[in-house]
Amino acid sequence: MQMLRVEELSLHYGGQRVLNNVSFSFEQGRITGLLGPNGAGKSSIFKVLAGLVRPDSGVVSKNGERLDDISDLRKSCSYMIDSPAFYPYLSGRQNLQLICKILGREKDLEKLMRLVGLDPFSKKRVKNYSTGMKQRLAIAQTMIHDVDLLLLDEPFNGLDPNGFQDLIALLRQLNEEGMTVVVSSHLLNELEQFADAFILLHDGSIALDISKQDLLKLKKKVSFVFDSTPPEDALKLISNFGSFEKGIQTAILNLEPHEIATTVERLVGLGAVPVNVETQNLLESKYLEITADLLD
Amino acid sequence: MIDLRNLIYIELYKLFSSTRTYVTFFIAIALMLIINLGMLMEGEKIFEFLLESISEYFIVDGEILNGYLVTYLAMNTLWVHIPVLIVIIAASIFAVEFEIGTIRLLLTQPISRGRLLQAKVLAMVVYNCVFMLLTVLAALIPAYLLFGTGDLVVFLDGVQFIQEETFLKRLVLSLIFATISMIAFSSLGMIFSLFFKNTLTSILLSMGVLILSTLLQKFVFGLFSAWQPFLFSYHFSKWQLFFMDVIPYHSILESAGFMLGMILILYLISYFKFKKMNITQ
Repeated sequence: MQMLRVEELSLHYGGQRVLNNVSFSFEQGRITGLLGPNGAGKSSIFKVLAGLVRPDSGVVSKNGERLDDISDLRKSCSYMIDSPAFYPYLSGRQNLQLICKILGREKDLEKLMRLVGLDPFSKKRVKNYSTGMKQRLAIAQTMIHDVDLLLLDEPFNGLDPNGFQDLIALLRQLNEEGMTVVVSSHLLNELEQFADAFILLHDGSIALDISKQDLLKLKKKVSFVFDSTPPEDALKLISNFGSFEKGIQTAILNLEPHEIATTVERLVGLGAVPVNVETQNLLESKYLEITADLLD
Repeated sequence: MIDLRNLIYIELYKLFSSTRTYVTFFIAIALMLIINLGMLMEGEKIFEFLLESISEYFIVDGEILNGYLVTYLAMNTLWVHIPVLIVIIAASIFAVEFEIGTIRLLLTQPISRGRLLQAKVLAMVVYNCVFMLLTVLAALIPAYLLFGTGDLVVFLDGVQFIQEETFLKRLVLSLIFATISMIAFSSLGMIFSLFFKNTLTSILLSMGVLILSTLLQKFVFGLFSAWQPFLFSYHFSKWQLFFMDVIPYHSILESAGFMLGMILILYLISYFKFKKMNITQ
C-alpha cells in the first residue's frame, strides 16, 4: 500500500527548475532510498514535504487521502533535514526537551539519548558537539514524535563507522516495528544493503524508480582481470557479453547474477583463468549508467 | 495543532537562556546606576548652574535635586540608549533562527507559522515589559536611597512643577506608555529581522530609522512640519507629557493609538511575509 504518493511535483528557485513534474510514492513498511548526484533535487523533495518550501505545483496524498496543505504532513511525519541545527547555548538534552514541549509529549530522553549513543554528552552544550553528534541528536529528535513515516536527508553524514552501523540497525529496528523510512544518501553500497526500494533523481527528474527485487534481476557489471591476453575463443565469449580492455587485461561484462559462475567456468574451460573477479555494486553501476547517459 | 502556551514558554525559555538578554539588562542597570552616581557627584553643581536663569523669578525652597528628579532624568535614556539595547534582542528574534538554522528545526514540527510568529511577538512583549520595569526600578530605587523624595521641577514647555504625591502615579503611566513605544520599536526590529535574516543588518536598519526619525523631528518648520505626525520619535517622546502640570491625555492617547497601530501593521506584514516565505537554507 502506498503510504505517501506525490504527483506532478514541480519547483523552481530563482529562475532555475529544481523539480520537474516528478511523481513517486513510498510504500508502507518499506525503507526507500532516495539517491542522486548533488543538485538532483533530493533535499528539495524533503523540504517540500516538510512544508519549508512551497512547490509550484503538485499533489501529495497520505494513505490515499489528498492533503490540502502539504505542511499538514508534519502531523504524521518526522523529518531530519540535512545539516541539522540546534540551539548552541542549550545542551543536547535541553534541545530535545524543547521539542517535547512543542509537541506536548513526555519522552524518556535519557533512553533516547542512549539509543543514539549520546548519553555521555546529554548535558554538554550543542556548540561543543561534533558534526556526527549533531546528526545523532537530529535522529533522536525525529523519534520524539509519534509518527508512521520518517524522512531522513543525508543522515549518515559525519557518522563514524560505528555510528553508521548503529544507525542502520536502528532504522531496521524501526522499520520492523512498522515505520516507513525514507533515506537520502550518496552511500550507494550501504543503501543497497538495507533499503527495499530506490528512487534515483537526476536534474530534477526521476531517472529510476525500482524495488530491490527488481534491481537484483538486473544485469551486473563484472570485471575479470587476467594476467595475460586470453585466447581467441575466450575473447569471442567475452565480446558476447561485454568488452576486453587490453591495456589493463580486464574484461568488463554485463551478466545476470546467475550467469557469473557459469561464465567463470566457461572462461576457465577456454584457457582464460581470471586472477580476480569483481562485481560492481548494482545500484552504483545503474546510477553511473543513468547519470552518464543523461549527461551525454 | 500545538498549544500556543507551550510555544510562548519555549520562546521565553530561549530568550532567558541566552546570554545577550542578560547583557542588555546589565547594561541598562549599569546605565541607571551611573546616572545616579553622576548626579551624586556633580548634581548640585549642575542644578546651581541651571537654576541661575530662573532665580530672579523664583525663590527655590527645598531640595530640587531629589530622587524623583534623578529618576526623571534617567528616563531620558529612552531617546537612544534604551531603544539600542532593546533592538538587539528584537532584531535577533528571527534572524538568529535563520543564522544558526534552527528555523528549520522549528518549522519541521507540526506548528503553524502564524502560531510561531504570535509566540515570538508575545515573548518580545514580555521581554520589553521586564526590561522597562528593571530599568525604571534600577533608576528609582538608588535615586530614592541616595536623594530621597521631593517635588519635581521639569523644564518641559516652560517650567513644570509636579507635586511629590503625584510622581509615582505619573511614573507608572509614563512607564506603560514608554513600554508600548519600545514594543512598537521592537516590532520594527523584528520585521527587519524577518526580512533580512541577519541580526546586524536588522539592528543597523532599526537604529537608522530611529536616528533619522529623531533628526527629522527637529525640523519643525515649513514642509517638514507635515512629517511630524508620521515620525516614530514624535510619538514616543510623549512619555514626557505625563510630567506636565496638566497631563494632556488626548495627545498621549493619540500617540498611543499610533504606536498600537504601528505594532498591528508591522505584525500583519510580518505574518504575511512569514507565511509565504520559502526556507531554503
